[in-house]
Amino acid sequence: MTAILIGVILFLIGGIISIFFGEKLKKIVFLSFAAVAQFFILPQSFNILLNGGQTEAKFILSDPLGACSFRLDPLASLFVIIISTGSLLCAIYSGSYMKMYSYKKISLSTYYFFLGILSVSMLLVVIVQNALVFLIVWELMSISSFFLVIFENDKPEVLKSGLYYLISMQVGVAFLIAGFAWVSASSGSLDFNSFHSVLSNSNSFSNLIVAFFLIGFGTKAGFIPMHTWLPKAHPAAPTGVSALMSGVMIKTGIYGILRIILLYGNINSTIAYSFFSISLLTAITGIANAASQKDLKKLLAYSSVENIGIIGMGIGIGMLGIVYNNSMIAMLGFLGAILHIINHFTFKSLLFYGGGIVYLNTHTRNIDKLGGLAKYLPMTSSLFLIGSLAISGLPLFSGFISELLIYLGLARSLSINNLSINIFAILGFSGLAFTGAIALLSFTKVYGIAFLGNARTQYQEKFKEKDFSLLSPMIFLAVIIIITGLFPYLTVSLLGNILKQFLPMDSLNEFLKIQLNLQILSGYILIFTSFILFFYLIRYFLLKRKRVEYFKTWDCGYQVGSSRIQYTSSSFAQPFLSLISEIVPQNINVNKEPVLFPKEASIESNSQDFFERFLIQPNLKWLRKFLDLFSWIQSGKMQQYIIYGLIFLLFILIWILGVK
Amino acid sequence: MMLKYIIIALVIISPFFFTGLINKVKAIWAGRKGSPVLQPYFDFVRLIQKGEVISKTTSFIFQISPSINIASSLFALMLIPLPFLGSVISFKGDFILFSYTLAFSKFLMILAALDTGSSFEGIGASREVTYSTIVETAFFIIMGSLALLTNQISFSSIFALLNMSTGYTILIKILLVISLFIMVLVEGSRIPIDDPNTHLELTMIHEVMILDYSGTDLAFILYSTALKMVIVSMLIANLLVPLYLTVPISLILFAFILILIFMIIGLIESLIARLRISHVPQFIFFMTAFSLIAFAIIAFFLRAGVQFSGKGL
Repeated sequence: MTAILIGVILFLIGGIISIFFGEKLKKIVFLSFAAVAQFFILPQSFNILLNGGQTEAKFILSDPLGACSFRLDPLASLFVIIISTGSLLCAIYSGSYMKMYSYKKISLSTYYFFLGILSVSMLLVVIVQNALVFLIVWELMSISSFFLVIFENDKPEVLKSGLYYLISMQVGVAFLIAGFAWVSASSGSLDFNSFHSVLSNSNSFSNLIVAFFLIGFGTKAGFIPMHTWLPKAHPAAPTGVSALMSGVMIKTGIYGILRIILLYGNINSTIAYSFFSISLLTAITGIANAASQKDLKKLLAYSSVENIGIIGMGIGIGMLGIVYNNSMIAMLGFLGAILHIINHFTFKSLLFYGGGIVYLNTHTRNIDKLGGLAKYLPMTSSLFLIGSLAISGLPLFSGFISELLIYLGLARSLSINNLSINIFAILGFSGLAFTGAIALLSFTKVYGIAFLGNARTQYQEKFKEKDFSLLSPMIFLAVIIIITGLFPYLTVSLLGNILKQFLPMDSLNEFLKIQLNLQILSGYILIFTSFILFFYLIRYFLLKRKRVEYFKTWDCGYQVGSSRIQYTSSSFAQPFLSLISEIVPQNINVNKEPVLFPKEASIESNSQDFFERFLIQPNLKWLRKFLDLFSWIQSGKMQQYIIYGLIFLLFILIWILGVK
Repeated sequence: MMLKYIIIALVIISPFFFTGLINKVKAIWAGRKGSPVLQPYFDFVRLIQKGEVISKTTSFIFQISPSINIASSLFALMLIPLPFLGSVISFKGDFILFSYTLAFSKFLMILAALDTGSSFEGIGASREVTYSTIVETAFFIIMGSLALLTNQISFSSIFALLNMSTGYTILIKILLVISLFIMVLVEGSRIPIDDPNTHLELTMIHEVMILDYSGTDLAFILYSTALKMVIVSMLIANLLVPLYLTVPISLILFAFILILIFMIIGLIESLIARLRISHVPQFIFFMTAFSLIAFAIIAFFLRAGVQFSGKGL
């Protein structure tokens, strides 16, 4: 445990002392501390993950906090590994990326400082075992990430998004405080272990408390209807931070949910079914909105919502497996969810980093203004393609494996002789397929419009991407994606001990069975790969002696087309969006004068988030009206405030006189 | 065992025969003599022998996509079972890999279309991806219904258990066959969804996506489109072939059903016109509707307490 805590402290020191160094040294100082911290954190975490068991350290803190223990079990160690490497990758990437902002000297100091604080608080969140300390580090995580989001605080919309994010987090934490307050009051201790006896005491009230926890953690993770902060905060933040938040930080919400499931002990069907349904809706809502986005980072943010939904579906099936006493289904569900946590970390960070390189070179995130980037940024575009294929869940890449496990969990739920689980399973089954198909649409859109074809606008600058610190995090992540995709059993073999925490001991047999099947699957996937290589070679040899001409795209005889007549992302997604306009409301404004001869006209289209429009905005309006009733208290008139002071003094006078 | 591989090899060389069959049926119906049934083979050989013209706009995606397309169609074929003989590759959940393999090739074909920077191909890609969202969802409802009916989760074991013919199963089979038939039309881009004979009209989907391909690459694409139709038709044939027959008879019946399916496609193409593009999604939604009805019947059926002999997990 000491090693982990030393690592945490190293991150903290790195963040703090980077303030005192000059602009060029800052990143090197922070990076070297973050890198050294890995040597302390990773060996022990991998040790626990592979060999099971746990390690613990206890501190007696001053009174309100009481005894605080840090514990590293296999579940926590997986998250520690993700957080620690994620933070390191972000530090490496930021080294070059943040050069863009070198004119803002002070902000750059705060950037590395808060990056350090964010890494520390995330690490502490997953190992701390004391409710009060947990809430403190949880808040610290929200606040430090808030400061990172508003890094470009000279832009009003960034500040606005940042505040939206902060307020969403406060709403979430309110539920957590309520939940923790109740369990620690009734157990008389702040330690997580003592919560088990309170929560497992099954009555309808403990269900409510668990629901509070799920809502609180779900807000951080991005489940509907609390997902609306993601598409606002991610585009506002600098890319390194977006990647860290989307790939790593929202997973702490998932960690919280998994921890509560472990503490809860006896899961019942109400919780399992409602969690599963919410997750399914989250996945569909997220990806349907992603399909309609033009902003690259917003699209990625919505796709994070989708992936959180998929992880949630896996957890939901795991819970249903426990409810219906079928350890194979539970195993498939939890394994799929946990593998998808790792996978989403890898491909989402990769995609954000790729998007960052695009932004660095073109200074736009609007896909409709890009095009043809594959020619200018060959490395970035190849890596981005790997990420896109993986996130769409296609074979050869990691996303397929975790989705397959979740599909198998659902398919096996069909053979349980119970109508309600059958109906939920078929909904999940087709819902997941629907999600996968829309993901295919969204990512063919991003890749096809932004990276392929011709440039839609003239690019101003010379492109540069051959930067070790920008590309190395992406290459590292791409390698993990491909290894997991081709040899899934290697990654899955790391996860056995986590599953032991969720399932009874005798389910080890099933884990070995899954491992064996994944080895066979790996063989099939390699056969598929060899098919592809075989046909590519055939093509190569067939064309070797033939004439291959390079000419312009066939334009059907129309010679004066410009690159602007190419399909845009809006037009690409339009046929699909018109089918789901009930879920993703579209606003289309046509500015055209009703005259006989054509004049200049314009069209503008954007989409709205269903929940934002029909749930959050009306409630905010109502809340604002209610709070307006009290606005006379703060009128801004000096006289009124003087009267407040006088009234206060009068009360004091009366009180003192009255008491004496 | 040998027999299975021989038949798979026959299927691998057959797709153009079936395309030729459609053309022949159309010609006879129109009172023409028509091109020989084997004409698509001659076209294929001619295309293979040619060089290529490649757009300067394109990147490496354009050149790898056709090879991936043909590889995934052939790999998908390995997963499809034959009556009694099973499939070359079979494992629990193989239909998920089947669907995602086809999605993989779709992903790259769409990218290849966008790679040319042509707005025609953009139209095609956009429509293709829209329809695939409906088709994939419906396919998973079909497979989920069958899994619910038989308690099995791989192609071979599902079809092996579908033997019984009570009133319900016949109804379910009819519904699922119609759904899968729509899938054949979508995958093969045939009338009423798409017209493979013209490719410069705004209603085109698949044909317009491959406008810029020529030579070997075009041959690969034509082959894999034809093969995909055969593959989905094989699923239909699997649903229909009863397993109480002997092996040779069931295989002959299997081939006969395939031929029948393609003749029906030819007849449809002779009789009706392509749908208006805004009606195509509605038509494909029939697939979802039929498969949901099938699922509802199965769920109701199971509720009534009649269980199949599947041994569960």
